[in-house]
Amino acid sequence: MAVDAGSIPELDQKKYDADEQVKIICLGDSAVGKSKLMERFLMDEYRPQQLSTYALTLYKHTATVGNKTIAVDFWDTAGQERFQNMHPSYYHKAHACIMVFDVQRKLTYKNLANWYKELREYRPEIPCCVVANKIDADMKVTQRSFNFGKKQGLPFYFVSAADGTNVVKMFRDMIKRAVEYKQNPSDFMDEVMQELEYCKLTCFHTFHII
Amino acid sequence: MRFAAKRCGVQFSPPSIVLIYEHTETKKVRKRIIPVRNFSKYSDYSMAAERLKNNPRHRDYLEGVSQSQLEKLHIILRDHMQGFSLEHSLSSFCLDPDEDLNKLDDEELARKKGQMDELFEKNRRHKDDPDFVYNLEVDFTKTTLEKCSWDEESDDGF
Repeated sequence: MAVDAGSIPELDQKKYDADEQVKIICLGDSAVGKSKLMERFLMDEYRPQQLSTYALTLYKHTATVGNKTIAVDFWDTAGQERFQNMHPSYYHKAHACIMVFDVQRKLTYKNLANWYKELREYRPEIPCCVVANKIDADMKVTQRSFNFGKKQGLPFYFVSAADGTNVVKMFRDMIKRAVEYKQNPSDFMDEVMQELEYCKLTCFHTFHII
Repeated sequence: MRFAAKRCGVQFSPPSIVLIYEHTETKKVRKRIIPVRNFSKYSDYSMAAERLKNNPRHRDYLEGVSQSQLEKLHIILRDHMQGFSLEHSLSSFCLDPDEDLNKLDDEELARKKGQMDELFEKNRRHKDDPDFVYNLEVDFTKTTLEKCSWDEESDDGF
């Protein structure tokens, strides 16, 4: 049985091809505060859709960029290893990526290298940023420079989902970059990659279902 | 928010959630004991916590208590019903910064998140707070000086 590349039957990922739609994924280890960041940005506006089978929470948001109204889907993903096989569908058609770590746990910072490597296998060109969350726990961390983002040429944000520092700014920047990317994809590589990605997903699914 | 939650705990017999809260207008501090019904050692702690949080009689009082904390209290209750000691429950919440939480199952992870939530709630700015700023921007680029030790003994990418 062949399954659509979108791979999550409940979700039609074709809609992300429409001009006024963007998909932004939120990645990082378990308990770094991804959902808390989403909730702080969206406040009462959010009505998340839980897809527990896929370890995924979907948050819908409407943003205005320039003079356009953009529908943004945030994909809040699970860091747990047993959901590793879901990752291809997270990356599929994503227009931007927010990578989060917890400033209190070195391991979550070190793991950024793995998340980033995997992201680039699927989406070599999409805008991405590094987010250092939970700075409220120890403000001293903001005096340190974390090199991972810099070395990869990615914007870096010190944020706190608890007190709100830089959360809204980070999300607005990323929505803007997702829209810019969509209007002007860096190069044709991305389309080639999409084709390859389609293959990967299809293969993965055939395998998965058998 | 009409009621500001101050402390929230658990009582084993009869199984209840105990909430100390302040009435925001009268400033009176009161205690509310919320019985936990239809909850056994086989129950789902997460659904029970959600049910309680949305209970029409209690939800206004529980607005300032996070879902994670309610889950944690239900886990303590259920551990007790399963014959585990309070010490056992509390130690399962302990955080080891070097532990890889990606390897945990949902319940083990919920225990850790419940613990992390305490600091989160302590430092949290609510939208009802008088000094709440939705788009709070702080520029740290000028203060960033020290090299981070996490970047040392570096392998790929750091």
